[in-house]
Amino acid sequence: MNKILEVKDLRISFRTANGKVQAVRDISFDLFERETLAIVGESGSGKSVTTRAILGISALNAVIENGEILYDGKDILKFTEEEFQSLRGDKIAMIFQDPMSSLNPIVKVGKQLTEAMLLKSRTGRREGRRDFYRYLKALHASGRGNSSEQELFRLFIRTEKTATRLQNSYKQARENAEEAKARIADLLVAFEKKEAARIQRECLGILRYASTCKNAFLPALSSEHYHALLQSVASGNERPNALTELNSILEQALSEPEPDFFTTAYDAVKSTSSPSANEFEKALSDAIASALTQSHKLHAQKQEAFLPVLRDAVNRTEKEWDKKQIRALVKKLTAGVNDCIDRAQIAKNSTEHTFAGCINSCCEKYFRALVKNRKEQAKFDRQTARREKLIRRGKHPEWKIAPAAITDTDLIKKRMREAIVALIRLYEERRDAIFNAEENAQQALEYLKHKAAQTTARVTKNAAKRRAIRLLNEVGIPDPEKRYNQYPFQLSGGQRQRIVIAIALSADPEILICDEPTTALDVTIQSQILELINKIKRERNLSVIFITHDLGVVANIADRIAVMYAGKIVEYGTSEEIFYSPAHPYTWALLSSVPDLESTGKLEAIPGTPPNMIYPPKGDAFADRNRYALEIDFKQQPPMFQISETHFAATWLLHPLAPKVEMPKAIKDRIRRMKEEAEREQ
Amino acid sequence: MNNKILLEVQNLCQYFKSGQSELKAVDDVSFSVRKGEVFGLVGESGCGKTTTGRSIIRLYNITSGNVIFEGTRIAAGTRALEEKYKETKQNGRKKITELKRGGNIREAETAERELEQELQKLHEEIASAKSDDKHCNKKYAEQEMRKVSEHYEPLLAACADNEREKLEKEYKEALRLAKKDRITNKIQMIFQDPIASLNPRMTVRDIIAEGLIIKGIRDKKYIDEQVYKMLDLVGLSPEHSGRYPHEFSGGQRQRIGIARAIIMQPELIIADEPISALDVSIQAQIINLINDLRKELGLTVLFIAHDLSVVKYFSDRIAVMYLGKIVELADSDELFRHPLHPYTRSLLSAIPLPDPVYERKRKRIPYNPLLAHDYSSDKPTFREVCKDHFVLCNEAEYKDYLGKIKEKS
Repeated sequence: MNKILEVKDLRISFRTANGKVQAVRDISFDLFERETLAIVGESGSGKSVTTRAILGISALNAVIENGEILYDGKDILKFTEEEFQSLRGDKIAMIFQDPMSSLNPIVKVGKQLTEAMLLKSRTGRREGRRDFYRYLKALHASGRGNSSEQELFRLFIRTEKTATRLQNSYKQARENAEEAKARIADLLVAFEKKEAARIQRECLGILRYASTCKNAFLPALSSEHYHALLQSVASGNERPNALTELNSILEQALSEPEPDFFTTAYDAVKSTSSPSANEFEKALSDAIASALTQSHKLHAQKQEAFLPVLRDAVNRTEKEWDKKQIRALVKKLTAGVNDCIDRAQIAKNSTEHTFAGCINSCCEKYFRALVKNRKEQAKFDRQTARREKLIRRGKHPEWKIAPAAITDTDLIKKRMREAIVALIRLYEERRDAIFNAEENAQQALEYLKHKAAQTTARVTKNAAKRRAIRLLNEVGIPDPEKRYNQYPFQLSGGQRQRIVIAIALSADPEILICDEPTTALDVTIQSQILELINKIKRERNLSVIFITHDLGVVANIADRIAVMYAGKIVEYGTSEEIFYSPAHPYTWALLSSVPDLESTGKLEAIPGTPPNMIYPPKGDAFADRNRYALEIDFKQQPPMFQISETHFAATWLLHPLAPKVEMPKAIKDRIRRMKEEAEREQ
Repeated sequence: MNNKILLEVQNLCQYFKSGQSELKAVDDVSFSVRKGEVFGLVGESGCGKTTTGRSIIRLYNITSGNVIFEGTRIAAGTRALEEKYKETKQNGRKKITELKRGGNIREAETAERELEQELQKLHEEIASAKSDDKHCNKKYAEQEMRKVSEHYEPLLAACADNEREKLEKEYKEALRLAKKDRITNKIQMIFQDPIASLNPRMTVRDIIAEGLIIKGIRDKKYIDEQVYKMLDLVGLSPEHSGRYPHEFSGGQRQRIGIARAIIMQPELIIADEPISALDVSIQAQIINLINDLRKELGLTVLFIAHDLSVVKYFSDRIAVMYLGKIVELADSDELFRHPLHPYTRSLLSAIPLPDPVYERKRKRIPYNPLLAHDYSSDKPTFREVCKDHFVLCNEAEYKDYLGKIKEKS
């Protein structure tokens, strides 16, 4: 399976009046295509903060200190607001906890549903055109020198232009038809007054519009019957009847959905081009393939030439960093790598594309950290001295000293080195791999066609409404036509959540983030909504990130589960692994604190409350509430231990030297019972 | 557990006006809670379970029905009685006029006399219900005062002169407290949302002690002692008493709510979804706490929730509510072993379990009252299917259920 989203070493904190709250501390996870990843943890564990960072809707006082979120070869954390706008809803959509507060109370359901579609149609056209020309330009640049190829590209551009022209003429014809229809409707109302002069005048106006709406895409408006009707309106024979019929013809023609202009134009260009129609596509694809091969060859050479520079850079980063030299090096690397990127390739590699941003930020962070670390250390020393002075005087100061926020400069160095090494590895791999021009050309052609078609795709209000009603049907709302015109407060809680899901789906996202979508609902509705999310995920091949604090809910829906505590992922594995062989004491505690239908006796509650993240504990954050805590848990944070290929847990209990600890009896019994039941049913 | 009935709810109806029509939030609900047990009330949101709890504690004026606590009627509605009065009057008059028209003057006269008597009886019932509803606390206080005086009068008569003054003072104080005593103090409530149910401008000590102060206790030392004791009982420390609610986490706030309820030494606690606003890891703490307190203080609990696995864990008997009516009532084990009503079955099928294999196979049973029942000719009533297992059903369904029970056992 392909990774669709990668979160790497993400660290987020919040500035507050009392100090810096470390909400998310160095978490990493991947989201694969078509899977559901559940993030489980209690409130304040940082699960919502993480997903909000993915959408760029973090609170204003949030500081993203470190890490990357990679999507489609780009680092989302470096996005500007404009870039985020093309991502939110479009590619990644979110369902929030409380349906009442995520719907606008004074806007009808239908309008909220179609809003995104209409807006997306406008920006989609603009972006489609931009991407189309940008990519053709890249191909153009690499295929320089071959005149027949140039000719083909020019033809392709002409296709796009023709499509736009066709669309414009269609739009004009349609507008005329609409105007004519509106006038007929007015006149039919006024007909009873029998003002002959006015009727004559109005009819002339109608004729003017009705006769100019001839268009290839509106065949009904150029038929002979239509012309005969126009004739009779002009001559004055049986005017009312003719007008009524005209009206119905216009209405019929206007209710047809918009045709696909690009396909028509493409067919037209194909048939008139110098090579025969069948060969046109082949020739075009060949041309693209040759351009791609040339471009690939050129860039492979460049990359090969750049490798020694990179290797040299790795050595340089290992030595002591000098501000001037390192900055010059970063500048050189950035320029070099940007030159080496093959823009004619459609698939973007994240290592290559995020390289420049990564090393630049590493460099800046390093030198900033040098200054800041000094200041922080001084502050910490000052406070410690003051506290000790007070203690020497026999007082008991109640305030705590916040640990000095020292940034690990070695880590930054290491990260930069890793980025360069990864790039070297990528270049080397690419050098050894075989370039399949044919396949790439097919992809490129599809991409170009898709973008060109996008430039003329227009969603009208009617079309948007039709789609909205289809969506409402899909999410299981009875009577969608009626609901379309209602306000959110007229719906029940479960239906509101369904509407929210429909809105999230309205722009066809790839990733759906559900932030506790069922917490505000009761048991029966909850299971309905979960079923719905599962169904939609299957039908639309979505990837889902599902956030909840209730492990019971997750069993139904998740493929993989990440358990979070105090800003860290403490356990990470497939659904079966987490439920049948949990390894972290926190997961045990979560599982045993929920009563099931068979449980009797005292529940295993987790004592105490989560730690204050302004002063995160030095060792394992869960140690204070953990019955199985070892001494080392209070001193040092446990690393991630790998249990199986997909199962990880951060607890010292998994260390080979740790004493053998069994999971609590209640869970053990329950798991045994569940397994027995599963076997019995088989 | 003994079989003494602590709380009895008879034909409770609670209607709310909404525009022109009436919303039947609770419609003809009857059940009884035995001393020392936990009675669970389950249903989806909007089914009237919270309204039932609030009606019992007199937060609403009930429309019809009786609530009887420790043998005393503490709330009564008169709607049903008044309707009956009207009906009897109309029917009687009709009958009398018919008799008169038929020429049976004598029979008409006796009928008139009988009707008169019947109406008089109904009228008295209405009056007594109204007076009970209004004056139950006053009557209880009078009773308590009588008890106090019965206790002190002989002592006063017998005691020596030098002790008389002290005893008189004690007597006066006891009388004052007895006068302020309320029977409804013995029912306390724990609310769902611990943030909304605590006054943000009062310290924890004030919040917990408020009930005692209203009760008329003036001894500051005694109050402090009690507050600290309660804080200790619910797992907080005395140093917390000076703080304000916002300084606490959700679980701690719920603990404060519980302390406030138990300081009044109640017999019955109505816990209205006490854990649904809390995090999973805290939920277990609160469940354990309520369970411990129940054993320690011998409390009876009316537990209202929508989470079936918690209710199952917690309750001795469970009533399932749907649209203002109790559809099934049984011992908790019995209910989960033999769920009879289709709504109960649907509810049980919706419980999520931490078991991926089971979850993938789980089939939710949908419930649609129009499809599940045919009540067009035969109206349903609340019937006992087997011992202590009641279901809302009509004759045909009743037979069906009986067959099912036999099949299983």
